[in-house]
Amino acid sequence: MNRHIFEIQKVALRSFSSSVRRQLDNKVPQKQKLFQVKNDGIPIHLKGGTADALLYRTTMALTILGTGYVVYELVKAAFPKK
Amino acid sequence: MAHQAHAYHMVDPSPWPLTGAIAALLMTSGLAVWFHFHSTTLMILGTILLLLTMFQWWRDVVREGTFQGHHTPPVQKGLRYGMILFITSEVFFFLGFFWAFYHSSLAPTPELGGCWPPTGITTLDPFEVPLLNTAVLLASGVTVTWAHHSIMEGERKQAIQSLALTIALGFYFTFLQAMEYYEAPFTIADGVYGSTFFVATGFHGLHVIIGSMFLAVCLLRQIHFHFTSEHHFGFEAAAWYWHFVDVVWLFLYISIYWWGS
Repeated sequence: MNRHIFEIQKVALRSFSSSVRRQLDNKVPQKQKLFQVKNDGIPIHLKGGTADALLYRTTMALTILGTGYVVYELVKAAFPKK
Repeated sequence: MAHQAHAYHMVDPSPWPLTGAIAALLMTSGLAVWFHFHSTTLMILGTILLLLTMFQWWRDVVREGTFQGHHTPPVQKGLRYGMILFITSEVFFFLGFFWAFYHSSLAPTPELGGCWPPTGITTLDPFEVPLLNTAVLLASGVTVTWAHHSIMEGERKQAIQSLALTIALGFYFTFLQAMEYYEAPFTIADGVYGSTFFVATGFHGLHVIIGSMFLAVCLLRQIHFHFTSEHHFGFEAAAWYWHFVDVVWLFLYISIYWWGS
């Protein structure tokens, strides 16, 4: 009976500690492989995948909208209403 | 297949210089709009754009260096020159504020009572929290050096611990300084004493926060195995910046807190 409990504890500990170890494994070689794919023409700021493209599009959208907004505010400020 | 016949890094075309420039435009115009028309939208938009730009730009530098191997010795040399030149420019930035302080304090005008500290100003005791702050930053200089040696010797756990301790000390400094600001018997509006004190120490505090963020990024990178014992320039740059912040504090402490009290 005690052996059973002991074995279950060992299994539980093993799966917990291996999942913790998986998080802290060295993933640099995988990243190196991903980013060293040659001749695909993808620039570094998009080479990571979909998340890169989403973040880029959001940033560029804010840039363009922001430029429009600042021009509007500056023109408004240049012609004050009485 | 085309290969470059040199050791330098020809970067991919990148949108971040443009988005960064627009962010600067939005932040500065936004500041003016806030002052005159009481709306913070433009300034906040600019700040968000700045944060997005910084995140993606530096993420790309990590990809180019650590994942693609573009940071060869000549490239690293260029990065070193760049960081040194940047820190030098920051030295000149602070030099201006020290000039302002000494200009006003070496020849105090009749309006101040002809003395320094000016009449009516209760200065902070340099041997209380300011002295503790000095000890905290000096200790953090030791821990960041410990972190460097740990990285060079391949001691992963020690590097993580000493780097985390350095960051904790940085946060402790910021916390103590925030308390001091809250409790101070004078404000930024209290004549030239208030102006020189809060502008000089305020910009220093901002640099402590920036330095702590830089070190925090290094901690994350160290945890994720980005640094090797031979190649860890990102960390060295952060450590240089941190030592610079420490030295500025020492000058602030001696000049404004101690001599100026």
